[in-house]
Amino acid sequence: HIAEDSSKLLQHVKFQSSNFENILMWDSEPDSIPGTVYSVDYKTYGEPQWLAKAGCQRITRKSCNLTMETGNLTEFYYARVTAVSSGGLSATKMTERFNSLQHTTIKPPDVTCVPKVRSIQMIVHPTLTPVYDGDGHQLTLEEIFQNLFYRLELHINHTYQMHLGGNQREYEFSGLTPDTEFLGSIVILVPTWSKESAPYVCRVKTLPDRTWT
Amino acid sequence: QGHEFRFGPCQVEGVALPRLWEAFQTMKDTVQAQDNITSVRLLRREVLQNVSGAESCHLTHDLLKFYLNTVFKNYHSKIAELKMLPSLSSLANNFLFIVSKLQPSNHESLSVSDSAHRRFLLFKRAFKQLEIEAALTKAFGEVDILLTWMGKFYR
Amino acid sequence: DGVAALPAPQNLSVHSINMKHLLIWSPVVLPEEKVYYSVEYQGEYESLYTSDIWIPSKWCSRTEGPECDVTDDITATVPYSLRVRAILGSQTSAWSILEQPFNRNSTILTPPGMEISKDGFHLVIELEDLGPQFQFLVAYWRREPDTKEHAKVVRRGGIPVHLETMEPGALYCVKAQALVKAIGRNSAFSQTKCVEVQGEALPL
Repeated sequence: HIAEDSSKLLQHVKFQSSNFENILMWDSEPDSIPGTVYSVDYKTYGEPQWLAKAGCQRITRKSCNLTMETGNLTEFYYARVTAVSSGGLSATKMTERFNSLQHTTIKPPDVTCVPKVRSIQMIVHPTLTPVYDGDGHQLTLEEIFQNLFYRLELHINHTYQMHLGGNQREYEFSGLTPDTEFLGSIVILVPTWSKESAPYVCRVKTLPDRTWT
Repeated sequence: QGHEFRFGPCQVEGVALPRLWEAFQTMKDTVQAQDNITSVRLLRREVLQNVSGAESCHLTHDLLKFYLNTVFKNYHSKIAELKMLPSLSSLANNFLFIVSKLQPSNHESLSVSDSAHRRFLLFKRAFKQLEIEAALTKAFGEVDILLTWMGKFYR
Repeated sequence: DGVAALPAPQNLSVHSINMKHLLIWSPVVLPEEKVYYSVEYQGEYESLYTSDIWIPSKWCSRTEGPECDVTDDITATVPYSLRVRAILGSQTSAWSILEQPFNRNSTILTPPGMEISKDGFHLVIELEDLGPQFQFLVAYWRREPDTKEHAKVVRRGGIPVHLETMEPGALYCVKAQALVKAIGRNSAFSQTKCVEVQGEALPL
Protein backbone atom coordinates (compact mmCIF):
# COMPACT_ATOMS: atom_id res chain seq x y z
CA HIS A 1 0.00 0.00 0.00
CA ILE A 2 2.90 2.32 0.89
CA ALA A 3 4.70 1.43 -2.38
CA GLU A 4 1.56 2.31 -4.28
CA ASP A 5 1.19 5.69 -2.50
CA SER A 6 4.85 6.66 -2.94
CA SER A 7 4.68 6.02 -6.69
CA LYS A 8 1.83 8.52 -6.74
CA LEU A 9 4.18 11.11 -5.26
CA LEU A 10 6.58 11.18 -8.18
CA GLN A 11 6.33 10.35 -11.92
CA HIS A 12 7.91 11.10 -15.30
CA VAL A 13 11.19 12.56 -14.03
CA LYS A 14 12.92 13.73 -17.19
CA PHE A 15 14.87 16.51 -18.84
CA GLN A 16 13.28 18.87 -21.35
CA SER A 17 15.90 20.70 -23.37
CA SER A 18 15.46 23.39 -26.00
CA ASN A 19 18.36 25.40 -27.46
CA PHE A 20 20.47 23.93 -24.60
CA GLU A 21 18.16 25.29 -21.87
CA ASN A 22 17.95 22.11 -19.78
CA ILE A 23 14.96 21.94 -17.44
CA LEU A 24 14.28 18.97 -15.15
CA MET A 25 10.54 18.26 -15.01
CA TRP A 26 8.41 15.77 -13.06
CA ASP A 27 4.83 14.97 -12.17
CA SER A 28 2.74 13.54 -9.42
CA GLU A 29 -0.71 11.98 -9.68
CA PRO A 30 -3.53 14.50 -9.64
CA ASP A 31 -5.00 13.19 -6.38
CA SER A 32 -1.61 12.87 -4.68
CA ILE A 33 -1.11 14.20 -1.17
CA PRO A 34 -0.83 18.06 -1.04
CA GLY A 35 2.09 19.67 0.77
CA THR A 36 4.67 17.41 -0.88
CA VAL A 37 8.15 18.94 -1.22
CA TYR A 38 10.81 18.00 -3.73
CA SER A 39 14.62 18.03 -3.64
CA VAL A 40 16.88 17.70 -6.69
CA ASP A 41 20.40 16.41 -7.05
CA TYR A 42 22.45 15.58 -10.09
CA LYS A 43 25.66 13.83 -11.08
CA THR A 44 28.03 13.53 -14.01
CA TYR A 45 28.07 10.04 -15.49
CA GLY A 46 31.38 8.43 -14.50
CA GLU A 47 31.76 10.54 -11.33
CA PRO A 48 31.06 9.04 -7.91
CA GLN A 49 29.19 11.82 -6.10
CA TRP A 50 25.69 13.22 -6.35
CA LEU A 51 25.48 17.01 -5.89
CA ALA A 52 22.51 18.85 -4.39
CA LYS A 53 21.11 21.52 -6.68
CA ALA A 54 20.96 24.75 -4.71
CA GLY A 55 17.65 26.48 -5.20
CA CYS A 56 15.80 23.22 -5.75
CA GLN A 57 15.81 21.80 -2.25
CA ARG A 58 12.42 21.19 -0.55
CA ILE A 59 10.57 23.10 -3.28
CA THR A 60 6.89 22.69 -4.11
CA ARG A 61 7.06 23.42 -7.84
CA LYS A 62 7.68 20.52 -10.25
CA SER A 63 10.58 21.81 -12.32
CA CYS A 64 14.17 22.84 -11.81
CA ASN A 65 16.56 24.63 -14.17
CA LEU A 66 19.75 22.57 -14.46
CA THR A 67 21.14 24.39 -17.48
CA MET A 68 24.37 25.53 -15.85
CA GLU A 69 24.94 22.22 -14.08
CA THR A 70 24.51 20.15 -17.25
CA GLY A 71 26.17 22.56 -19.68
CA ASN A 72 29.29 20.57 -20.66
CA LEU A 73 28.51 19.24 -24.14
CA THR A 74 30.86 16.26 -23.89
CA GLU A 75 29.50 15.10 -20.54
CA PHE A 76 26.55 12.87 -19.73
CA TYR A 77 24.42 13.46 -16.67
CA TYR A 78 21.81 11.97 -14.38
CA ALA A 79 19.40 13.93 -12.19
CA ARG A 80 17.12 12.60 -9.51
CA VAL A 81 14.21 13.96 -7.51
CA THR A 82 13.23 13.00 -3.98
CA ALA A 83 9.64 13.74 -3.01
CA VAL A 84 8.58 13.86 0.67
CA SER A 85 4.91 14.15 1.54
CA SER A 86 3.58 15.98 4.56
CA GLY A 87 2.82 12.55 6.04
CA GLY A 88 6.48 11.53 5.76
CA LEU A 89 6.06 9.29 2.72
CA SER A 90 8.97 9.60 0.27
CA ALA A 91 9.95 8.50 -3.23
CA THR A 92 13.06 8.99 -5.32
CA LYS A 93 13.28 8.69 -9.08
CA MET A 94 16.19 9.21 -11.53
CA THR A 95 16.26 10.45 -15.13
CA GLU A 96 17.66 8.54 -18.05
CA ARG A 97 21.24 9.39 -19.02
CA PHE A 98 21.17 12.90 -20.47
CA ASN A 99 23.44 14.77 -22.87
CA SER A 100 22.33 18.14 -24.18
CA LEU A 101 23.94 17.71 -27.63
CA GLN A 102 21.83 14.59 -28.12
CA HIS A 103 18.61 15.67 -26.47
CA THR A 104 18.16 19.38 -27.07
CA THR A 105 15.56 20.48 -29.61
CA ILE A 106 16.09 23.51 -31.84
CA LYS A 107 13.77 26.49 -31.73
CA PRO A 108 12.78 28.33 -34.93
CA PRO A 109 15.43 30.83 -36.14
CA ASP A 110 15.08 34.57 -35.68
CA VAL A 111 14.72 36.06 -39.18
CA THR A 112 14.03 39.48 -40.70
CA CYS A 113 12.18 39.35 -44.05
CA VAL A 114 12.76 42.51 -46.14
CA PRO A 115 10.50 43.01 -49.20
CA LYS A 116 11.81 44.89 -52.26
CA VAL A 117 10.25 45.45 -55.70
CA ARG A 118 11.38 42.24 -57.39
CA SER A 119 13.00 40.38 -54.55
CA ILE A 120 12.73 39.46 -50.88
CA GLN A 121 15.78 39.53 -48.63
CA MET A 122 15.99 37.28 -45.58
CA ILE A 123 18.47 37.93 -42.79
CA VAL A 124 18.98 35.14 -40.27
CA HIS A 125 20.15 36.31 -36.85
CA PRO A 126 22.51 34.10 -34.81
CA THR A 127 20.95 32.19 -31.92
CA LEU A 128 22.77 32.57 -28.63
CA THR A 129 22.70 29.61 -26.22
CA PRO A 130 23.41 29.38 -22.46
CA VAL A 131 26.57 27.38 -23.28
CA TYR A 132 30.00 28.96 -22.74
CA ASP A 133 33.39 27.82 -24.00
CA GLY A 134 36.52 27.57 -21.93
CA ASP A 135 37.28 31.26 -22.44
CA GLY A 136 33.87 32.33 -21.13
CA HIS A 137 32.61 33.12 -24.64
CA GLN A 138 28.85 32.56 -25.01
CA LEU A 139 28.29 30.16 -27.92
CA THR A 140 25.71 30.38 -30.69
CA LEU A 141 23.99 27.34 -32.21
CA GLU A 142 26.16 27.88 -35.29
CA GLU A 143 29.32 27.62 -33.21
CA ILE A 144 28.14 24.47 -31.44
CA PHE A 145 26.95 22.53 -34.47
CA GLN A 146 29.61 22.48 -37.21
CA ASN A 147 27.29 21.41 -40.00
CA LEU A 148 24.24 23.46 -39.03
CA PHE A 149 22.58 25.04 -42.03
CA TYR A 150 19.42 26.95 -42.92
CA ARG A 151 16.82 25.86 -45.46
CA LEU A 152 14.73 28.72 -46.85
CA GLU A 153 11.59 28.18 -48.92
CA LEU A 154 9.47 30.80 -50.67
CA HIS A 155 6.03 29.50 -51.61
CA ILE A 156 4.71 31.00 -54.85
CA ASN A 157 0.94 31.04 -55.39
CA HIS A 158 0.60 27.56 -53.85
CA THR A 159 2.05 25.89 -56.95
CA TYR A 160 5.81 25.86 -56.55
CA GLN A 161 8.60 26.85 -54.23
CA MET A 162 11.92 28.66 -54.47
CA HIS A 163 14.67 27.08 -52.34
CA LEU A 164 17.79 28.63 -50.91
CA GLY A 165 20.08 27.21 -48.26
CA GLY A 166 23.44 27.38 -46.60
CA ASN A 167 25.14 28.56 -43.44
CA GLN A 168 25.53 32.23 -44.25
CA ARG A 169 23.31 34.96 -42.75
CA GLU A 170 21.85 36.74 -45.76
CA TYR A 171 19.75 35.33 -48.60
CA GLU A 172 17.74 36.94 -51.42
CA PHE A 173 14.95 35.45 -53.49
CA SER A 174 15.00 37.44 -56.76
CA GLY A 175 13.12 37.58 -60.04
CA LEU A 176 9.77 38.08 -58.26
CA THR A 177 6.62 39.83 -59.42
CA PRO A 178 6.10 43.28 -57.83
CA ASP A 179 3.20 43.98 -55.47
CA THR A 180 2.59 40.27 -54.78
CA GLU A 181 2.29 38.34 -51.51
CA PHE A 182 4.65 35.45 -50.75
CA LEU A 183 5.01 33.03 -47.85
CA GLY A 184 8.54 32.49 -46.54
CA SER A 185 9.52 29.53 -44.34
CA ILE A 186 12.96 29.16 -42.73
CA VAL A 187 14.17 26.17 -40.70
CA ILE A 188 17.44 25.26 -38.96
CA LEU A 189 18.84 21.82 -39.78
CA VAL A 190 21.59 19.85 -38.05
CA PRO A 191 21.90 16.69 -40.18
CA THR A 192 24.46 14.92 -38.00
CA TRP A 193 21.94 14.85 -35.19
CA SER A 194 18.80 14.63 -37.34
CA LYS A 195 17.64 17.86 -35.73
CA GLU A 196 15.23 20.18 -37.53
CA SER A 197 13.61 23.26 -35.98
CA ALA A 198 10.01 24.27 -36.45
CA PRO A 199 9.86 26.88 -39.24
CA TYR A 200 10.00 30.64 -38.82
CA VAL A 201 7.25 31.86 -41.16
CA CYS A 202 6.93 35.33 -42.69
CA ARG A 203 4.17 36.48 -45.00
CA VAL A 204 5.49 39.40 -47.05
CA LYS A 205 4.45 41.44 -50.09
CA THR A 206 6.87 42.78 -52.73
CA LEU A 207 6.75 46.55 -53.26
CA PRO A 208 4.81 48.08 -56.15
CA ASP A 209 6.93 48.86 -59.24
CA ARG A 210 6.85 52.68 -59.64
CA THR A 211 9.46 52.75 -62.39
CA TRP A 212 7.13 53.95 -65.17
CA THR A 213 4.65 56.01 -63.07
CA GLN B 1 22.84 15.16 -46.37
CA GLY B 2 26.46 14.09 -45.79
CA HIS B 3 27.28 10.38 -45.77
CA GLU B 4 30.97 10.73 -45.28
CA PHE B 5 33.36 10.26 -42.39
CA ARG B 6 36.89 11.70 -42.52
CA PHE B 7 39.02 10.13 -39.78
CA GLY B 8 42.22 11.98 -40.65
CA PRO B 9 43.58 10.33 -43.80
CA CYS B 10 40.86 7.66 -43.76
CA GLN B 11 37.67 8.44 -45.66
CA VAL B 12 34.46 6.39 -45.42
CA GLU B 13 31.52 7.09 -47.73
CA GLY B 14 28.10 5.47 -47.67
CA VAL B 15 27.14 5.49 -44.02
CA ALA B 16 24.50 7.94 -42.79
CA LEU B 17 25.26 8.82 -39.17
CA PRO B 18 21.59 9.76 -38.49
CA ARG B 19 20.62 6.17 -39.38
CA LEU B 20 23.09 4.85 -36.80
CA TRP B 21 21.54 7.18 -34.22
CA GLU B 22 18.08 5.99 -35.19
CA ALA B 23 19.12 2.36 -34.70
CA PHE B 24 20.73 3.02 -31.31
CA GLN B 25 17.92 5.29 -30.03
CA THR B 26 15.49 2.36 -30.09
CA MET B 27 17.76 0.42 -27.70
CA LYS B 28 19.37 3.22 -25.70
CA ASP B 29 17.00 3.84 -22.81
CA THR B 30 16.32 0.14 -22.22
CA VAL B 31 20.01 -0.79 -22.16
CA GLN B 32 21.24 2.25 -20.22
CA ALA B 33 18.55 1.65 -17.57
CA GLN B 34 20.22 -1.73 -16.91
CA ASP B 35 23.59 -0.06 -16.20
CA ASN B 36 23.48 0.66 -12.46
CA ILE B 37 27.15 1.65 -12.14
CA THR B 38 26.68 5.37 -12.83
CA SER B 39 30.04 6.24 -11.30
CA VAL B 40 32.09 4.47 -14.00
CA ARG B 41 32.40 5.62 -17.61
CA LEU B 42 34.41 3.44 -20.03
CA LEU B 43 34.75 5.96 -22.91
CA ARG B 44 36.19 8.61 -20.62
CA ARG B 45 37.65 12.00 -21.56
CA GLU B 46 41.16 10.57 -21.60
CA VAL B 47 40.11 8.12 -24.31
CA LEU B 48 38.28 10.48 -26.67
CA GLN B 49 39.31 14.08 -26.04
CA ASN B 50 41.80 15.94 -28.25
CA VAL B 51 42.27 12.99 -30.62
CA SER B 52 44.22 14.15 -33.67
CA GLY B 53 42.95 13.46 -37.13
CA ALA B 54 45.75 11.00 -37.74
CA GLU B 55 45.03 9.11 -34.52
CA SER B 56 41.28 9.02 -35.15
CA CYS B 57 41.59 6.43 -37.93
CA HIS B 58 43.49 4.00 -35.66
CA LEU B 59 41.28 4.62 -32.65
CA THR B 60 38.02 4.23 -34.58
CA HIS B 61 39.31 0.99 -36.10
CA ASP B 62 40.27 -0.41 -32.67
CA LEU B 63 37.04 0.66 -30.97
CA LEU B 64 34.66 -0.56 -33.68
CA LYS B 65 36.52 -3.90 -33.96
CA PHE B 66 36.14 -4.32 -30.19
CA TYR B 67 32.45 -3.52 -30.35
CA LEU B 68 31.94 -6.02 -33.19
CA ASN B 69 34.10 -8.82 -31.77
CA THR B 70 33.26 -8.48 -28.09
CA VAL B 71 30.38 -6.18 -27.18
CA PHE B 72 27.79 -6.86 -29.87
CA LYS B 73 28.73 -10.53 -30.18
CA ASN B 74 28.29 -11.26 -26.48
CA TYR B 75 25.35 -8.96 -25.88
CA HIS B 76 23.45 -10.34 -28.88
CA SER B 77 21.27 -12.78 -26.89
CA LYS B 78 20.21 -10.06 -24.47
CA ILE B 79 19.20 -7.83 -27.40
CA ALA B 80 17.32 -10.77 -28.91
CA GLU B 81 15.38 -11.14 -25.66
CA LEU B 82 14.53 -7.46 -25.85
CA LYS B 83 13.31 -8.03 -29.42
CA MET B 84 15.65 -5.36 -30.78
CA LEU B 85 17.68 -7.47 -33.19
CA PRO B 86 16.84 -5.40 -36.31
CA SER B 87 18.29 -2.28 -34.67
CA LEU B 88 21.43 -4.09 -33.52
CA SER B 89 21.78 -5.63 -36.98
CA SER B 90 21.61 -2.21 -38.60
CA LEU B 91 24.21 -0.77 -36.23
CA ALA B 92 26.56 -3.77 -36.40
CA ASN B 93 26.47 -4.09 -40.19
CA ASN B 94 27.21 -0.39 -40.63
CA PHE B 95 30.08 -0.63 -38.12
CA LEU B 96 31.35 -3.62 -40.14
CA PHE B 97 31.15 -1.53 -43.32
CA ILE B 98 33.09 1.33 -41.69
CA VAL B 99 35.81 -1.01 -40.40
CA SER B 100 36.15 -2.58 -43.84
CA LYS B 101 36.89 0.88 -45.29
CA LEU B 102 39.37 2.00 -42.63
CA GLN B 103 43.00 1.28 -43.57
CA PRO B 104 44.92 2.81 -40.65
CA SER B 105 48.12 0.84 -40.95
CA ASN B 106 49.75 2.29 -44.03
CA HIS B 107 49.04 5.93 -43.37
CA GLU B 108 50.76 7.09 -40.24
CA SER B 109 53.96 6.99 -38.18
CA LEU B 110 54.48 4.62 -35.25
CA SER B 111 53.99 7.34 -32.61
CA VAL B 112 50.51 8.13 -33.89
CA SER B 113 49.36 4.52 -33.85
CA ASP B 114 50.95 4.03 -30.43
CA SER B 115 49.14 7.04 -29.03
CA ALA B 116 45.82 5.81 -30.45
CA HIS B 117 46.45 2.33 -29.11
CA ARG B 118 47.19 3.69 -25.61
CA ARG B 119 43.83 5.43 -25.63
CA PHE B 120 42.14 2.21 -26.70
CA LEU B 121 43.91 0.29 -23.91
CA LEU B 122 42.56 2.78 -21.34
CA PHE B 123 39.08 1.87 -22.51
CA LYS B 124 39.78 -1.86 -22.64
CA ARG B 125 41.36 -1.89 -19.16
CA ALA B 126 38.32 -0.13 -17.70
CA PHE B 127 36.11 -2.69 -19.45
CA LYS B 128 38.07 -5.62 -18.01
CA GLN B 129 37.87 -4.22 -14.48
CA LEU B 130 34.13 -4.80 -14.43
CA GLU B 131 32.26 -8.10 -14.18
CA ILE B 132 31.61 -9.25 -17.74
CA GLU B 133 27.82 -8.77 -17.83
CA ALA B 134 28.08 -5.33 -16.28
CA ALA B 135 30.91 -4.43 -18.66
CA LEU B 136 28.94 -5.53 -21.74
CA THR B 137 25.85 -3.61 -20.61
CA LYS B 138 27.89 -0.48 -19.89
CA ALA B 139 29.86 -0.61 -23.14
CA PHE B 140 26.70 -1.17 -25.16
CA GLY B 141 25.02 1.72 -23.36
CA GLU B 142 27.96 3.97 -24.23
CA VAL B 143 27.45 3.66 -28.00
CA ASP B 144 25.92 7.16 -27.83
CA ILE B 145 29.22 8.48 -26.47
CA LEU B 146 30.99 6.72 -29.35
CA LEU B 147 28.57 8.09 -31.98
CA THR B 148 28.83 11.60 -30.48
CA TRP B 149 32.60 11.43 -30.87
CA MET B 150 32.39 9.96 -34.40
CA GLY B 151 30.07 12.85 -35.30
CA LYS B 152 33.03 15.21 -35.12
CA PHE B 153 34.49 13.49 -38.18
CA TYR B 154 31.23 13.42 -40.17
CA ARG B 155 30.75 15.68 -43.21
CA ASP C 1 6.84 -35.68 -39.54
CA GLY C 2 4.93 -33.08 -41.61
CA VAL C 3 7.90 -30.71 -42.25
CA ALA C 4 9.31 -32.53 -45.27
CA ALA C 5 5.82 -32.95 -46.79
CA LEU C 6 5.51 -29.21 -47.52
CA PRO C 7 7.80 -28.25 -50.45
CA ALA C 8 10.14 -25.32 -49.96
CA PRO C 9 9.81 -22.22 -52.18
CA GLN C 10 12.17 -22.22 -55.19
CA ASN C 11 13.90 -19.76 -57.56
CA LEU C 12 14.62 -17.00 -55.07
CA SER C 13 15.92 -13.76 -56.50
CA VAL C 14 16.06 -10.07 -55.62
CA HIS C 15 14.77 -7.37 -57.94
CA SER C 16 16.21 -4.05 -56.81
CA ILE C 17 15.35 -0.80 -58.57
CA ASN C 18 16.01 2.67 -57.16
CA MET C 19 16.85 1.30 -53.73
CA LYS C 20 13.57 -0.66 -53.46
CA HIS C 21 14.53 -4.29 -52.92
CA LEU C 22 11.96 -6.98 -53.69
CA LEU C 23 12.64 -10.62 -52.85
CA ILE C 24 10.62 -12.91 -55.14
CA TRP C 25 10.23 -16.68 -55.42
CA SER C 26 8.14 -19.31 -57.17
CA PRO C 27 4.94 -19.95 -55.20
CA VAL C 28 4.23 -23.33 -53.60
CA VAL C 29 1.00 -24.41 -55.27
CA LEU C 30 -1.26 -26.91 -53.41
CA PRO C 31 -4.84 -27.44 -54.60
CA GLU C 32 -7.43 -25.81 -52.33
CA GLU C 33 -4.76 -24.84 -49.83
CA LYS C 34 -3.73 -21.36 -48.69
CA VAL C 35 0.09 -21.28 -48.35
CA TYR C 36 1.82 -18.50 -46.47
CA TYR C 37 5.52 -17.64 -46.36
CA SER C 38 8.01 -16.41 -43.81
CA VAL C 39 11.12 -14.41 -44.74
CA GLU C 40 14.26 -13.90 -42.64
CA TYR C 41 17.55 -12.09 -43.24
CA GLN C 42 21.15 -12.04 -42.05
CA GLY C 43 23.59 -9.21 -42.63
CA GLU C 44 27.28 -9.83 -43.09
CA TYR C 45 27.74 -9.21 -39.37
CA GLU C 46 25.35 -11.98 -38.41
CA SER C 47 26.83 -14.41 -40.87
CA LEU C 48 30.35 -13.71 -39.54
CA TYR C 49 29.70 -13.39 -35.79
CA THR C 50 26.33 -15.01 -34.96
CA SER C 51 25.68 -17.31 -37.91
CA ASP C 52 22.90 -19.20 -36.16
CA ILE C 53 20.88 -15.98 -35.82
CA TRP C 54 18.39 -15.03 -38.53
CA ILE C 55 16.14 -11.99 -38.16
CA PRO C 56 12.46 -12.01 -39.22
CA SER C 57 11.81 -9.55 -42.06
CA LYS C 58 10.01 -6.44 -40.96
CA TRP C 59 7.08 -6.86 -43.33
CA CYS C 60 7.01 -10.57 -44.15
CA SER C 61 7.21 -12.68 -41.02
CA ARG C 62 3.99 -14.22 -42.40
CA THR C 63 2.97 -13.14 -45.87
CA GLU C 64 0.82 -14.44 -48.71
CA GLY C 65 3.75 -13.80 -51.08
CA PRO C 66 5.30 -14.86 -53.37
CA GLU C 67 7.25 -11.64 -52.86
CA CYS C 68 8.54 -9.52 -50.01
CA ASP C 69 9.73 -5.91 -49.84
CA VAL C 70 12.96 -6.23 -47.87
CA THR C 71 13.98 -2.57 -48.30
CA ASP C 72 13.62 -1.77 -44.58
CA ASP C 73 15.65 -4.86 -43.62
CA ILE C 74 18.67 -3.96 -45.77
CA THR C 75 20.10 -0.99 -43.84
CA ALA C 76 23.82 -1.21 -44.63
CA THR C 77 25.90 -1.51 -47.79
CA VAL C 78 27.12 -5.02 -46.99
CA PRO C 79 26.04 -8.45 -48.35
CA TYR C 80 22.77 -9.79 -46.91
CA SER C 81 21.59 -13.40 -46.96
CA LEU C 82 17.84 -13.98 -47.29
CA ARG C 83 15.75 -17.11 -46.77
CA VAL C 84 12.10 -18.09 -47.21
CA ARG C 85 9.98 -21.02 -46.09
CA ALA C 86 6.37 -22.02 -46.73
CA ILE C 87 3.74 -22.28 -43.97
CA LEU C 88 0.55 -24.33 -44.18
CA GLY C 89 -1.40 -24.47 -40.95
CA SER C 90 1.05 -25.93 -38.44
CA GLN C 91 3.35 -27.29 -41.15
CA THR C 92 6.48 -25.44 -42.26
CA SER C 93 8.75 -26.30 -45.16
CA ALA C 94 12.54 -26.32 -45.15
CA TRP C 95 14.20 -22.95 -45.64
CA SER C 96 15.26 -21.90 -49.12
CA ILE C 97 18.25 -19.56 -49.06
CA LEU C 98 19.05 -16.92 -51.73
CA GLU C 99 21.91 -18.36 -53.74
CA GLN C 100 24.03 -15.17 -53.84
CA PRO C 101 23.96 -12.69 -50.92
CA PHE C 102 22.44 -9.38 -51.98
CA ASN C 103 24.22 -6.01 -51.63
CA ARG C 104 22.19 -2.85 -52.12
CA ASN C 105 25.00 -1.25 -54.10
CA SER C 106 23.83 -3.43 -57.01
CA THR C 107 20.47 -1.69 -57.23
CA ILE C 108 19.43 -0.46 -60.69
CA LEU C 109 19.22 3.34 -60.81
CA THR C 110 16.90 4.71 -63.50
CA PRO C 111 16.98 8.27 -64.84
CA PRO C 112 14.44 10.26 -62.77
CA GLY C 113 11.06 11.34 -64.12
CA MET C 114 11.16 15.10 -64.71
CA GLU C 115 8.57 17.75 -65.60
CA ILE C 116 9.49 21.35 -66.41
CA SER C 117 7.17 24.34 -66.67
CA LYS C 118 7.35 28.11 -66.52
CA ASP C 119 5.57 30.75 -64.50
CA GLY C 120 6.33 34.16 -65.99
CA PHE C 121 10.13 34.20 -66.20
CA HIS C 122 10.52 31.40 -63.64
CA LEU C 123 11.74 28.01 -64.86
CA VAL C 124 10.14 25.40 -62.57
CA ILE C 125 11.12 21.72 -62.27
CA GLU C 126 9.42 18.81 -60.56
CA LEU C 127 11.34 15.57 -60.15
CA GLU C 128 10.04 12.09 -59.38
CA ASP C 129 9.80 11.35 -55.65
CA LEU C 130 12.13 8.37 -55.20
CA GLY C 131 12.37 8.48 -51.41
CA PRO C 132 14.66 9.95 -48.75
CA GLN C 133 17.84 8.27 -49.99
CA PHE C 134 17.73 10.26 -53.24
CA GLN C 135 19.01 13.68 -54.25
CA PHE C 136 19.14 15.01 -57.82
CA LEU C 137 21.76 16.76 -59.90
CA VAL C 138 20.02 19.08 -62.38
CA ALA C 139 21.93 20.52 -65.35
CA TYR C 140 20.42 23.44 -67.28
CA TRP C 141 21.59 25.80 -70.01
CA ARG C 142 20.41 28.36 -72.55
CA ARG C 143 20.36 26.84 -76.04
CA GLU C 144 22.67 29.25 -77.89
CA PRO C 145 26.23 29.06 -79.26
CA ASP C 146 29.00 28.26 -76.67
CA THR C 147 26.57 28.43 -73.83
CA LYS C 148 27.61 27.54 -70.26
CA GLU C 149 25.97 24.63 -68.44
CA HIS C 150 24.78 25.31 -64.89
CA ALA C 151 24.23 22.66 -62.23
CA LYS C 152 22.11 22.60 -59.09
CA VAL C 153 21.42 19.90 -56.45
CA VAL C 154 17.74 19.44 -55.71
CA ARG C 155 17.34 17.74 -52.35
CA ARG C 156 14.02 15.99 -52.84
CA GLY C 157 11.50 15.06 -55.48
CA GLY C 158 7.75 15.32 -55.48
CA ILE C 159 7.49 19.12 -55.21
CA PRO C 160 7.79 21.76 -57.96
CA VAL C 161 10.86 23.91 -57.37
CA HIS C 162 12.12 27.13 -59.00
CA LEU C 163 15.28 26.40 -60.95
CA GLU C 164 16.17 29.68 -62.65
CA THR C 165 14.83 33.12 -63.54
CA MET C 166 14.96 33.19 -67.35
CA GLU C 167 15.75 35.96 -69.82
CA PRO C 168 12.94 36.69 -72.29
CA GLY C 169 13.26 35.33 -75.83
CA ALA C 170 15.65 32.49 -74.83
CA LEU C 171 15.27 28.71 -74.96
CA TYR C 172 16.25 26.90 -71.76
CA CYS C 173 17.05 23.17 -71.64
CA VAL C 174 17.20 20.87 -68.60
CA LYS C 175 18.26 17.30 -67.75
CA ALA C 176 18.59 15.52 -64.38
CA GLN C 177 20.20 12.47 -62.77
CA ALA C 178 19.52 10.76 -59.43
CA LEU C 179 22.23 10.59 -56.74
CA VAL C 180 22.33 7.97 -53.94
CA LYS C 181 25.07 8.80 -51.44
CA ALA C 182 24.43 5.67 -49.36
CA ILE C 183 25.95 3.60 -52.17
CA GLY C 184 28.01 6.36 -53.84
CA ARG C 185 26.31 5.96 -57.22
CA ASN C 186 24.17 7.98 -59.63
CA SER C 187 21.75 7.20 -62.47
CA ALA C 188 22.17 8.14 -66.11
CA PHE C 189 20.80 11.56 -67.11
CA SER C 190 17.17 11.86 -68.06
CA GLN C 191 16.12 13.01 -71.51
CA THR C 192 16.62 16.73 -72.10
CA LYS C 193 13.53 18.92 -72.03
CA CYS C 194 13.40 22.56 -73.18
CA VAL C 195 11.09 25.54 -72.63
CA GLU C 196 11.03 28.94 -74.31
CA VAL C 197 10.20 32.35 -72.84
CA GLN C 198 8.43 34.99 -74.94
CA GLY C 199 8.25 38.74 -74.05
CA GLU C 200 10.69 41.70 -73.74
CA ALA C 201 13.68 42.09 -71.47
CA LEU C 202 13.00 42.99 -67.77
CA PRO C 203 13.52 46.71 -66.77
CA LEU C 204 16.90 47.07 -64.90
